[in-house]
Amino acid sequence: MGRIEHRFKAMGGPCCLRLDANDDVMAKRAIAAAVAEVVRLEKKYSRYLDDSLTSQINRAAGAGVPVPIDHETSALLSYANTVWEESQGLFDLTSGVLRLAWDFKSGRCPNQLEIDALLPLVGWDLVQREEGSVYLPRAGMELDFGGCVKEYAADSAAMQLRRSGVTSGLIDLAGDMAAFGTPQGNVSGTSGWPVGIRHPVEKDKAVAGVNLPEGGLASSGDYERCLHIDGKRYGHILHPHTGWPVQGLIAVSVLAAQCIVAGSSATIAMLKPADEALDWLDNLGLPWLAIDVDLNCHGSLVASQQLSPG
Amino acid sequence: MASRQDDLNKTLVALTSSAFLLPAYQSAMADAPPEFTEIGTRYSKYKEDDISAKKAFGGRSERYDIDVAQFYLLAPVSDDWSVALDVSWEDMSGASPWFVGESIEADDAKVIMSGASIEDTRTEVSVTTRYYFDSGNAGFNYTYSDEDDYESKALSLDGSINSEDGLTTYSAAVSASDDDITPTQGAYPTNTLDATKDVRSAWLGVTQIVSKRALVRFGLSYTYRDGFLTDPYKYLDDRPDERKEWTVSAGYRYFLEEPNAALHVDYRYFDDDWGIASQTVDVAWVQTFKDTTVSPFIRYYSQDEADFFSNIDYEDTDYFSDDYRLSAFGAFSYGLRLSHEIGNWSINADAERYQTDESWGVYGGEESPGLVEFWRYGVGLNYAFK
Repeated sequence: MGRIEHRFKAMGGPCCLRLDANDDVMAKRAIAAAVAEVVRLEKKYSRYLDDSLTSQINRAAGAGVPVPIDHETSALLSYANTVWEESQGLFDLTSGVLRLAWDFKSGRCPNQLEIDALLPLVGWDLVQREEGSVYLPRAGMELDFGGCVKEYAADSAAMQLRRSGVTSGLIDLAGDMAAFGTPQGNVSGTSGWPVGIRHPVEKDKAVAGVNLPEGGLASSGDYERCLHIDGKRYGHILHPHTGWPVQGLIAVSVLAAQCIVAGSSATIAMLKPADEALDWLDNLGLPWLAIDVDLNCHGSLVASQQLSPG
Repeated sequence: MASRQDDLNKTLVALTSSAFLLPAYQSAMADAPPEFTEIGTRYSKYKEDDISAKKAFGGRSERYDIDVAQFYLLAPVSDDWSVALDVSWEDMSGASPWFVGESIEADDAKVIMSGASIEDTRTEVSVTTRYYFDSGNAGFNYTYSDEDDYESKALSLDGSINSEDGLTTYSAAVSASDDDITPTQGAYPTNTLDATKDVRSAWLGVTQIVSKRALVRFGLSYTYRDGFLTDPYKYLDDRPDERKEWTVSAGYRYFLEEPNAALHVDYRYFDDDWGIASQTVDVAWVQTFKDTTVSPFIRYYSQDEADFFSNIDYEDTDYFSDDYRLSAFGAFSYGLRLSHEIGNWSINADAERYQTDESWGVYGGEESPGLVEFWRYGVGLNYAFK
């Protein structure tokens, strides 16, 4: 026995699970538990699924009746509130509705009227959170947990592996990763799982390699969906106050003790103008890597490019 | 991650603390039996300082010495059961205060020692089974202890339940013991030939995780003792045959990622219907280096004397004791615990010094000449079948 790799699809992307195990049965049980956890969170929080809790909350917007929520959802909303506060309102779970104005496939830039019509539906401070319930007061408002659930799922699946008795594992949910333990066969003296941070343009190339110790690595990128109109680049990261794309970095990766914290940090950085974002990341106290529109790399992880990527 | 940990800023602390409240980061604490069978053995020595000539008739005298050998086994039985076995052997020898008399040459009290007459061995066997469920665990323990002049059988039940968010743990325990006292007959008369004692106690506790780095806990306990509570070997000892004790306790744990350490602060208040009250403050620093844990600790203890404590029996009271353990005093103990892991093995060692003085206490009272000071040290070896 040794390294086991399991690939699956969830949360809209390719996922991969790697673990070291000496016991085949235990490993299979652990993989099943971890995958089930990712699927559970997807079913619960995906806004694409009609019977998800998110869809229930969104359908009840403006209807006058708060939707009952469990402890986990309440803790997630409370976490989202902290990120909103710490980002001075840039990270906003209600901003997803702005995508109705921005169709990145059409290649068309919306006019200000279309955006103005949606802005009243954006505003985390409008959300009524009570002990055990949540309510969106305006019809058409939407919550979108997309900004934190995938990262949370990576952490939670890693915890499932641990609880199943796995001593060393890596979860990769389409680039959001959580790892624990030291993989077997590591060169002595190195700890952590070797992983690569994908190049924003050349998808097969790693822009940096890092050994991921206990914790998470999350990336936020703008390169996959954007519009080029009259020579101007419009990314899909929308400013919640203006409704227009942020002229910021095109990719940010952050390493943290928890994947969800790494993810929120990367997202906040993406929502800031490039210069401000680089300063903010520099002061945050976590290892990071950012790529600007000219494809220049910045951050403390740039040096680790020399490490062998996974 | 290490290079910038010093720079942890406010935002990062806020995000991390908030994320920590999510269930995924709580389930690490879900109750589960130990993963591996563990065995361990330990030797420890307890040695009381000699009593000085100033404080004892008949000159300087040695006091108590106890050698303890222990063995334990902790094993998972299934996904939700574990069993633990503890066996210990104690070898006691030396002298202890027999009674306190008044010195003629000076106006003070001195101890008359029992002479190096005590020799006893004690064997204790304790079995615990524990059942683990999603939100907590429950344990059942039976302990049997036997020595030449004392036999004790004790049962206890305990349980703890974690709140849904995993941040709060409620615990409770009840225990009962039936003890038989049959003092060894020697040169000195004993206060009984055969007597019994029952102890019943109950305990309630709450542990609350207050942040990623800190937790607090509170405890409340009540103990009821009934039967022969007098020390059978102390010449003038005559105590009530009932005792009710209360304790309240509070503890605080603070974990620091850098350096990898934890601060433990504990406080305990004790009160009983014999007039004894006591306060204990414990402070320990648990520092972890790679495979080694070093933990210096200091404890302060202060107790008030029992209503019927006196060095010399002048007053005509219903009860009387000149036992230093019922006097008012203050005490400091301090020491170091070390443990080191090598693969599946772990070795540990500890040393503790206990010193006491009537004037160190926060309660006033008559100073007992019998106050004890001691050293305690031990070494242990554990093995986990990983």
